[in-house]
Amino acid sequence: MAVIETRDLRKTYGTLEALKGVSISVEPGQIYGLLGQNGAGKTTLIKILLGIVRKTAGEAELLGAPAGTVNVRRRVGYLPEDHQFPYYHTGRSLMDFYGQLYGVSPDDRKRKIPEALELVGIAGRMNSKIKTYSKGMKQRLGIAQALLHDPDLIILDEPTDGVDPMGRKEIRELMARLKDKGHTIFLNSHLLGEVELVCDRVAILQRGEVVREGTVAELTKATDKFRLRLGEGQAFPTDVVARLGYAVAPLAERPGTFEVTLASGQTIDPVVRLLVEGGLSLRELVEKKESLEDVFMKTVEGAEPGVDQKVRTVQQVQRVRAVGGEG
Amino acid sequence: MTQFVAILKDSFREAVDGFVIYAMLGLSALVILIVGSASFEPVEPDKAFQSIAQRFNVHFPNKGASRVVSASLRNENKYAAQDVAAAGDGYKLRLTVKARSGTVTNDEHDPAGGDSFRKAVAAWAKPPGSTVKAADLAKSFGGKKGEEAAQNVPDIELSFERNATPEEQRAVTDADMAEFLVAQFRTHAGTSATVARAAGVAEPEYAFDVTAAGGAAVRGWPHKMEMFFGAVTVSEGTNLGQVLWIIEDRIINGLGAAVLLLIGVIITAFFIPNMMRKGSIDLMLSKPIGRTQLLVYKYVGGLTFVFLVTAFTVGGIWLVLAARSGYWDPGFLAVIPILTFQFAIVYALSALVAVVTRSAIAAMVLSIGFMLFLYVIGQVKTLFDVFRASPRPERVPDWAYNLVDGLNNVMPRYKDLDKLTTKMIADGTLTDAERIVPGLTAIDYPSWGATFGVSLAFIVLALVLASWRFRTRDQ
Repeated sequence: MAVIETRDLRKTYGTLEALKGVSISVEPGQIYGLLGQNGAGKTTLIKILLGIVRKTAGEAELLGAPAGTVNVRRRVGYLPEDHQFPYYHTGRSLMDFYGQLYGVSPDDRKRKIPEALELVGIAGRMNSKIKTYSKGMKQRLGIAQALLHDPDLIILDEPTDGVDPMGRKEIRELMARLKDKGHTIFLNSHLLGEVELVCDRVAILQRGEVVREGTVAELTKATDKFRLRLGEGQAFPTDVVARLGYAVAPLAERPGTFEVTLASGQTIDPVVRLLVEGGLSLRELVEKKESLEDVFMKTVEGAEPGVDQKVRTVQQVQRVRAVGGEG
Repeated sequence: MTQFVAILKDSFREAVDGFVIYAMLGLSALVILIVGSASFEPVEPDKAFQSIAQRFNVHFPNKGASRVVSASLRNENKYAAQDVAAAGDGYKLRLTVKARSGTVTNDEHDPAGGDSFRKAVAAWAKPPGSTVKAADLAKSFGGKKGEEAAQNVPDIELSFERNATPEEQRAVTDADMAEFLVAQFRTHAGTSATVARAAGVAEPEYAFDVTAAGGAAVRGWPHKMEMFFGAVTVSEGTNLGQVLWIIEDRIINGLGAAVLLLIGVIITAFFIPNMMRKGSIDLMLSKPIGRTQLLVYKYVGGLTFVFLVTAFTVGGIWLVLAARSGYWDPGFLAVIPILTFQFAIVYALSALVAVVTRSAIAAMVLSIGFMLFLYVIGQVKTLFDVFRASPRPERVPDWAYNLVDGLNNVMPRYKDLDKLTTKMIADGTLTDAERIVPGLTAIDYPSWGATFGVSLAFIVLALVLASWRFRTRDQ
């Protein structure tokens, strides 16, 4: 049974179609990443799953039950984007308050609250008022409150927003540990490198539609390019390799390193053999793959932006209006 | 239940986070301290009973059941208290009455027919007979002064004891006299007494042996009142009940309640808009709690906060008043739930405005405006009721009467709750005479059922609308 299952999910705000038939399936134990520009519909999708926003059409299920019901929410932990905790709480009292709303017993709250805060690294400040917390600390607290009741599904909307690089690494490690413990994580992040590092599957949402979906390996396929570097002082036999039918070019950003592009049906093996037989020592051989960022940029390039419009000059706006492109 | 308690605690935590609550509690503590600085020193028993006996020329016909005030304008009977001595938890005394012999009735003059004391007892035992409205009597003095006096007298009826015939006066027994005097002690002093006529005194003079219960801490006992731990003397001999009534009703239930409600509205106006702020609402709605539940719990959280502050203030004042005066009036404690209910009316509107606008300022301003509107409607309705009962009801056009009646019928009875609280406090502090003579018993009080029913219906309606909006709106 899928943890999250949506079928042809639609949401309309007046004339704006925020979701145009989104169908995804998240299996238990997966870390599932959702990518997209601002206004692509990512947060709307999450809010529908949690019952914060009502769907216009389609199906959405969480943990085998209709999304958004009270009983389902009991099994979900959620960190919203740009959250604002009640300023009058301390970290501990907020956790206690939310723990009560989730029905966590007093004994469990007493035990789990310090544990969860320790896990995200802010146990030392748990008795301080939240209004004294930095953004990164609030973010860590947000993650802690999403984990407190040991939910089956954890939905994290920009979990590393405002967190320093060290903290990001810790959060990535935390997600990996949660996955190992059997939790399913639904992650919405702008940090594509992060998503690539931790996610099993990824969906790219563009203007309310899923335009790419698959495992990270499927999306970041090989590019038929190899990067090679020889030992110190050795000259790369560019002409010989080219005569074998390979395209070769030095990499300007990495002196001494060459990029070899394979033609259809070719492998890199003849080039390696040539170098070894020529007595050259190969120091680096890397198959170049597309990064998730490349995939994302390629996917959204040329597409219309989300609600965040690209910056335009006054002249550009006037030109667009003159041709009737925009009301 | 856990969720309910959690949200109550959260609301309370939110309320106590700001300085306003501390200012409010500080103000409450100051009022409690000021009230606690008051001292109530009972006037010496002989002077007190002398003062009480002087009030006996006013009585209420039909053995006290009538609200008509029957008075001897010339104080025909000279009452005096003598030989006052402590006895158990009360006092023993001899009450003497020096009456005027012979009497004048409406129909005849009979020098041997009775005396003014018998006439008073006979008239007290009968229905009032012919009466005159106090305002009409004042007008009969004539001229502009008469008109002015008529405006200021209470809305009561008067009778003048002239309907007791000589036969009826002669028929008055010792037991009738004792019954009359027992009723007068109860009516004018709020104390129970036993009275027996003493022998050996020739009419038209009378003597009675009286045992009065209750010591000095009875409503009608004159007290010297000082404030600020004796620094300022407020009164030398005002009845205890009247002083308590002024403090409990006029100062606490009037001015104090208005301030408390106002600050309560200001503090709680932030509860729901804060919860609905972008970034906060998602956190709350993602928790396993229904939206209606969430809203109602938040609403009850606001009420609980005001209830606790009211309980602290009123309870504290009640305690120090009772401790300082020796008079324990549990009726005053009813102010706590009634004031909370008044707040519930205003807070229901505040919740509705907060859900629709998400603005604490809008919720605050509209709630305070609504409070004032309800108060004005109640005041105008009271005034119009007076006009309607006056000889010139046409001074207000019919449409105005209808408009105010209609509004009063459908709007929450904010002012009526005030009236009922005032009555409850008066019942608990003032003597019967102190309530009847100023016309407090002549007021047409609204019923508890209608007052609570209509107000409760409004609260439910406002919360249903707020809840519907909250449930159907995407956040």
